[in-house]
Amino acid sequence: MSFALWTMILYSGLMSWYLRDMEATIVDLEVGDLQVHALDYRDDPSLHTRIDDAEALLQQLRAAGYRATARLLAHGLAAADESSAGVAFFGIDVPSDAQVSLVHEHLLEGSWLDPADSHGVVLGRRLARMLAVDPGEEIVVLSQGTDGAMAADLFNVRGILENVGPEVDRGGVFMPAATFRELFVLPTGVHQIVVRRPADTELDVAAEAVRAAASGLDVRTWRDLMPTLASFMDSARGALVMMVVIVYVAIAVLVLNAMLMTVFERIRELGVLKALGVSPGGILGLMFAEMVIVTAMAIALGVALGAPTLHYLATEGFELTSLAGTSVMGVAMSSTWHADMSAETFAVPIGVLILIVTLATSYPALKAAFIDPVRAIHHR
Amino acid sequence: MESHSPVVVCKEVTRVYRQGSQEVHALRGLNMEVAVGEFTAICGPSGSGKTTLLNVIGALDRPSGGQVLLEGRDLAALSQRERSHLRRDRIGFVFQAYNLMPVLTAYENAEMVLALQGVDIEERRERVEGLLADVGLAGMEHRTPDELSGGQQQRVAIARAIAADPAVVLADEPTANLDSENATNLLDIMEQQNRERRVTFLFSTHDPRVMERARRIVRVVDGRVETDERRT
Repeated sequence: MSFALWTMILYSGLMSWYLRDMEATIVDLEVGDLQVHALDYRDDPSLHTRIDDAEALLQQLRAAGYRATARLLAHGLAAADESSAGVAFFGIDVPSDAQVSLVHEHLLEGSWLDPADSHGVVLGRRLARMLAVDPGEEIVVLSQGTDGAMAADLFNVRGILENVGPEVDRGGVFMPAATFRELFVLPTGVHQIVVRRPADTELDVAAEAVRAAASGLDVRTWRDLMPTLASFMDSARGALVMMVVIVYVAIAVLVLNAMLMTVFERIRELGVLKALGVSPGGILGLMFAEMVIVTAMAIALGVALGAPTLHYLATEGFELTSLAGTSVMGVAMSSTWHADMSAETFAVPIGVLILIVTLATSYPALKAAFIDPVRAIHHR
Repeated sequence: MESHSPVVVCKEVTRVYRQGSQEVHALRGLNMEVAVGEFTAICGPSGSGKTTLLNVIGALDRPSGGQVLLEGRDLAALSQRERSHLRRDRIGFVFQAYNLMPVLTAYENAEMVLALQGVDIEERRERVEGLLADVGLAGMEHRTPDELSGGQQQRVAIARAIAADPAVVLADEPTANLDSENATNLLDIMEQQNRERRVTFLFSTHDPRVMERARRIVRVVDGRVETDERRT
C-alpha cells in the first residue's frame, strides 16, 4: 500500500504539473486565454480584415481587470544570403505584450524587441537555423502591403527564440507594431487581441464577459482555438484518474485477499471472541480498526517517502534536454519536467486509497462479524 | 450448597441439523434444570447431544424447538446483540482446546471479558491477579499461551470464564486434552471455585475422573436425558 501510494503521489504530481505546464505553455506563449478577431478573420486571414476600434476594447477590458494586447499578423518570405523561408509576421505592442505573453522570456540568444530599434526583429530557432543567421546579422523580408505594393525591407536579427511552439519555431518573425504598420502600410486597426483573464475568473465566465464587451467580433477561448489539444488534455486527465483507479483496484484485490486470509486464519479466535460476548458490531469495529491502523501506517510511510521525492521533483525536476525543442501536439515541451506539490497531490491518492481499502475490507469484516461461533470454535 | 432457584431451565428442547438431504436430531425434547451453585456433569456417548446442549444453553446456538431459560430469560426472545451481551455478562465458557488468544498473555486473556464489559482497569487488575493466583498461576501472568502447558492454559481459561462472575460456567470436555495430574488439578480448582464462590459449573465429559467428582450426573442419550443422578 505504501509503495502504491508513493507511486500514485509521484504520478499525480508529475501529471498534474505536465498538464498545467502544457496549458500554461498554450496560454502564456501561444494563444492567451482568449483571442478576439474580426468576424471572418479566422476563416480567411487577410491583412485587410481588422478590428477597427481596438483601443476602446483594450481600455474596456483592462478596466475590467483583464490583461490584453493587440497584435498585427501577416505572412510573407524572409531571406538571408541564398536561403529563404515562408514566415509569419507578428507585429506587437512590446510593453503590453509582455503583460500578456511570456514569449520574451524564451530567448535562446540575443535580446528581445526594443520599440526604439525599429529595424530589429526576433526569429524562431528553426527559422534562424534555416536562414543561417545569428543575432546581429541581417535578413530581408518580403510580402505585400495593404496598398497592393511590395512590402520589403532589411532587418537586423536582435534575438532568437526557443521552446515557444512549432509555428513560431519554424517561421515566427516578431517586430514592433510601428515597424509592422510601416512595412505593410497599415495605419489603423489590428488583427488580433490576446486576452488574459484574472486568476480567479473561470475561462467560460471570462469568455462571456469578453463577448459582452466585444460585440460584433469573434471571441474564442484557447479551448475553441485548439480543440484537439483541449480534448487531448481532457483525455490525459481522464487517463490520470483511470491509472489511479487501476492501481487501487489492484490494491483492493490484495487487501481483500489479505483480509480474507486474516479472517480465515483467525476464524477460531473470531469464534472465541463471539462466544465471549463480542457482538457482530464489535467484530466489525475490530476489523475496521485493524484496517485503519494498517492504512494509517501505509499512508504515513507513503507520505514520508512521497513528500521528499515530490519536493525534489518540484524544485529540481527531471532534465529532459534530449526533448528540448520538441513538441507534443504542437505545444513546446519544457526542457525540465517538474512535479506539482500541493495538498491536492496528496489528498486525491490518499482519499482514493482510503475509499478502496474501506470497500475491500467491508466483505471480510462482514464475514467475520456474522461468523457462526460454534463452527468457528471447532474450525481446524 | 446449591439453592433451588434454577439458573438454567430446558423445556422440551430440540435441535435438528441438516446434513445434505438428511436431518440429524441432536436434541429430542430434552428437559432439565440446573440450580445455582450446582457442579453438574453431562455425560453420554459421542453424538448423544452433550455439546449441542451446552451450545444451546450458552446462547451460541438456537434450539429448533422448546425453550431455554437462563436466569428466567427466554434465549429465543433475545436479539443477536442481546445474546452477545448475555454471553459476555452471564455465561463463562471453558473449551476443550482452551481457545486462548495466542497473542495475549495469561493476564490479558483472563481479563478479556472484564475489558469487554468496560470494567475499570484497577478493578480488573485486582480481580484478575487474585484469580490467577487462585488457579495457581501467580508469577506466570506475562506468559503467552505457547509458554504455558496444556493444564496451565486450561487454568487461564477457567480464570477467564469466572472473572466476570457469570451465572453459569459451561465447560465442554475441559479435561479431554489433559493428563491425569493436570486433570486432577483442574478439577480441584473448579471444585474450589464452586465451593468458595458458588460458581455454577455445567460440563460435558467422558472422563470418569470428572464424573467421580461431580455432585450431579446427567446422562444424555440420543438427545434426551436418560438418567439424572444427584450425589450428596
